[in-house]
Amino acid sequence: MEIDKENVVQAVVIMDTFNNNFSPITTNSPFALLSVAGVPLIDYVLESLALGGVGETILFCCENGPKIKEYLKLKKEEKLPWSLTMDIQVLMSDTCQTMGDVMREIDAAGLVRGYFILMGVNSISNINYAVLLEQHKQTCKKDKGAAMTLVYKKVSWQHPITRSDKPIFLAADANTRKILMHKKYKAKSSDKIINLPLDIVLNHSEVKLHHNLVDANIALCSPSVPPLFSDNFDFQTRDDFIHGILINEEILASCLYYTLLKRDEYTAAVTNWKTYQVICRDIIHNWAHPLSIETGTFYQNNFVFMGNHNFRSINSTLSRSCTLTEDVLIGANAHISDNAILTKSVIGKNCVIGSNVVITGSYIMDNVTVKENCKIFNSYIEHDSLIEEKSVLEGTIIASNVNIKAESNLKGSIVESSVADKEKTLSKSTSENEWENESVNSEDDEFIGLDKEWSDSDSCYSTDSSEPTSLSDSPVPDDTNMFLQEVIDSLARGYEEKLKCDYLILEINSSRYAYNIQLNEVNFFVVKALLSIPILTETKSVLSTIKDIWKYFQPVISNYIKTKSSIMDCLRAVEDSCLKSLWLEGKAGQIIHLLYDADVVDEDSLLEWYKELQEYKSPLVGQSSVVKFFEWLQEASEESD
Amino acid sequence: MPPLGSPSKELDLKHEEKIVQFVSNVRNGKIDGSNNIALKMLLLLEQIISECENATALELSGLVREVGRRVCRALPQELVAANMVRRVLRAIRDEHRAVSDQNGGSAEGATESLQRLVLAAAARRGTLGSAQQDLREPLRDHIAEVRAEIESGCGAVAAMATAHVHAAELILTHGSSRLVERFLKAARKHTHYRLLLAEGPDVKESHGMALRLSLLGIPVTVISDASIAAVMSRVNKVVIGVRAVLAGGALLARAGTHALTIAAKHYSVPVIALCPLYKLSPLHACDHYGFNALDNPRTSLSYEFSESGDVHVEAPRYDLVPPDHVTLFLTNLGGSSPSYIYRLLSELYDPNDHQL
Repeated sequence: MEIDKENVVQAVVIMDTFNNNFSPITTNSPFALLSVAGVPLIDYVLESLALGGVGETILFCCENGPKIKEYLKLKKEEKLPWSLTMDIQVLMSDTCQTMGDVMREIDAAGLVRGYFILMGVNSISNINYAVLLEQHKQTCKKDKGAAMTLVYKKVSWQHPITRSDKPIFLAADANTRKILMHKKYKAKSSDKIINLPLDIVLNHSEVKLHHNLVDANIALCSPSVPPLFSDNFDFQTRDDFIHGILINEEILASCLYYTLLKRDEYTAAVTNWKTYQVICRDIIHNWAHPLSIETGTFYQNNFVFMGNHNFRSINSTLSRSCTLTEDVLIGANAHISDNAILTKSVIGKNCVIGSNVVITGSYIMDNVTVKENCKIFNSYIEHDSLIEEKSVLEGTIIASNVNIKAESNLKGSIVESSVADKEKTLSKSTSENEWENESVNSEDDEFIGLDKEWSDSDSCYSTDSSEPTSLSDSPVPDDTNMFLQEVIDSLARGYEEKLKCDYLILEINSSRYAYNIQLNEVNFFVVKALLSIPILTETKSVLSTIKDIWKYFQPVISNYIKTKSSIMDCLRAVEDSCLKSLWLEGKAGQIIHLLYDADVVDEDSLLEWYKELQEYKSPLVGQSSVVKFFEWLQEASEESD
Repeated sequence: MPPLGSPSKELDLKHEEKIVQFVSNVRNGKIDGSNNIALKMLLLLEQIISECENATALELSGLVREVGRRVCRALPQELVAANMVRRVLRAIRDEHRAVSDQNGGSAEGATESLQRLVLAAAARRGTLGSAQQDLREPLRDHIAEVRAEIESGCGAVAAMATAHVHAAELILTHGSSRLVERFLKAARKHTHYRLLLAEGPDVKESHGMALRLSLLGIPVTVISDASIAAVMSRVNKVVIGVRAVLAGGALLARAGTHALTIAAKHYSVPVIALCPLYKLSPLHACDHYGFNALDNPRTSLSYEFSESGDVHVEAPRYDLVPPDHVTLFLTNLGGSSPSYIYRLLSELYDPNDHQL
């Protein structure tokens, strides 16, 4: 059969998540082979692509490429449905560290011919990709700049799947579905206020706000996406890309759209242990139909339905006295002994569960032996491990080939086997206190165990690494700090070497894009940097030095501080520096005076700012120099009247 | 149900690919409706038979049986696929017997009796190997015959509508079904009746069917399937489509049908089940664990609601309706009562093929 190369739908699957949310499980074996409800992720992805009408798939592996190739070869011999209808290309590159690198590589190799689907291997979905891609093409016809359509599923905001991941806030034009604002929140963020820029509301007749979206990490891309990544080497992750495009819409001449899935379509992405748990449950409950526990086995009906969403493999053996409460999946050749009680768990192939064992909310992979009287709650046990008698595990992640000694009591720890001396040791264990705090905070008992691991990765959470794309391990505040440092460095160097201010502005702008800083923040930080140049800390006469600096950097300041709001930013920066820097203590009034003289700030803004200070009782209000300055200002204005 | 008899046979790579393609098409809904599944399955078997190198009876029956096993394991709910395999196996046996009768002029009589069926079963299997003729040509005719039967089956059942739907009757049906729709349209040509349509799990399709029927001038009222019992006392006749009819006259139908037939039985309303012959399956309800398959729960609860994360949604795909709830089965051959199904089965299939 002749295949029309032009019309074949292409998909690019990125096989790594570039984060360590699933370490140590994913350190040695590829993430793509992580088993969700008994089936490796890659099987779900390939099957759903084949179902969705995709004709050619490019799998991009950054780590463990050979293992994935081997696995695919094995599966092709089994003649799975996707191997007949889909071309699969496996690409490997060890140098890629982020999703941005992958896209640049794809661009360099010229692998995609036109519109394509971009997804991670962690996306589980039963959507029709071909139809969605066609929709995206239609959008592109209307708007030449449309670069990407993001695929979301709307769910209730209380749904476990949204509760377990970072919430997204999205503002979009209701008529065209063009994204105007995209924001991700930190998990359990205390931010209660969302700032919506006024021009969004002014420029669009109808704006839709979404806060209850599931991001499945699937995007429909135009041919312009890989070159965009190549042109902007600071795009590391998909979020970088989204923010970069939204900020520089005019410069890059591209924009983003989104689409919501229909009611009967399912989509989710495995991003952390919590979503892992939710998705396992969804698959067992058949929400992702036709993806199911039989995916990847050519439906040879190895499972028997036992009611209450319990499934057991045909050749597993269950003791008469064991209890399966609900949502239990038992793999082939597994054996469950007397009086075992299993709830919401997945038991892998060839497992042996001893008598009187209690297992709740846990995921036990292949060839694991659990001896008598163990209790396992909310844990993940990788293949070939052995849990000896009377152990109690709670919220524990156990890597492969680990031997847990009898009567050990583990709570919220990660157990790895150290290969070097062949002796199994507890290598990483978090402090119990931290873990308990976490469990108190958590509202939902069900999740406590794996929640721990989740909270553990909370630090990388704020770094965006939940989005399975980033490696840049710098939390958001660090980003701004680094930006500040960089600005200070360039200003100091510029001052010493008497560089031209135009160059400095260029330098600051480029660091701004590198760290993804908003314009108002730039204003703030530039002024702050001016007041923190290292010479100031050394010099005796701070004020005169500031005056010099101010004079020298006049072009820089006037470049940034132009509008009313930027003036306010500037004043806030002065306030911030005066409170925090030792060398400026008590000199706030003089500095403001300098600014006033230099015509950087005007009277109205000053008064407004002063009011603001008084409102939230800034310590600055009490400072004599400030009081004096404002008295003087008052007099001066009265005089001029 | 472990398969008995001959050990599993190795299949050609090409054949295996065809099976995979067929199964995934059915699973993904690219082939839907039992009529289409039956026709496509027949096509698959025909292709495989015509490509067979050594087309003796034994060889062919082994091959067809193996294909059947694979398909049935992958599609336990689609009983029509297995039925087609049984029909073809029966054709092979018949053809083989015809050939050996010609050759040896054996003692087997022209008529079949129940006694003969029982007594001859073992002997027939034993003799499957003796003749060496190429059976492909005559089998092609047999398969064409079966295909013609499937294609005409729905029409034949619909043609009986006039005999069962009378003027000014109130007819109740459940969910959408192509066959029921055709039946009701045929009835409209002769009589004026009113229709109550209880929406099944496939609400959209039910509404579509209601719309199409009302465009023909049939007064249609769509009701929720929760209110079936409330309206049942006024209903004159219930017409339902089935997924499969099992041995003994029980039937497998869309979820919700059992509740309907219970209500009908309570009010003594006659229930007419439309089942072309290809839907007759020789299995018993206890033979098969595939009957209690679960469907996607979205038919009852949308995933969007937060409840979907906390509750069990059991959305069974089929209901098993016991034989005493059905008044009449309408097959291609006319009406038959549930107790007569066994006889139809013995005409259609060879008892040796009941288990594939």
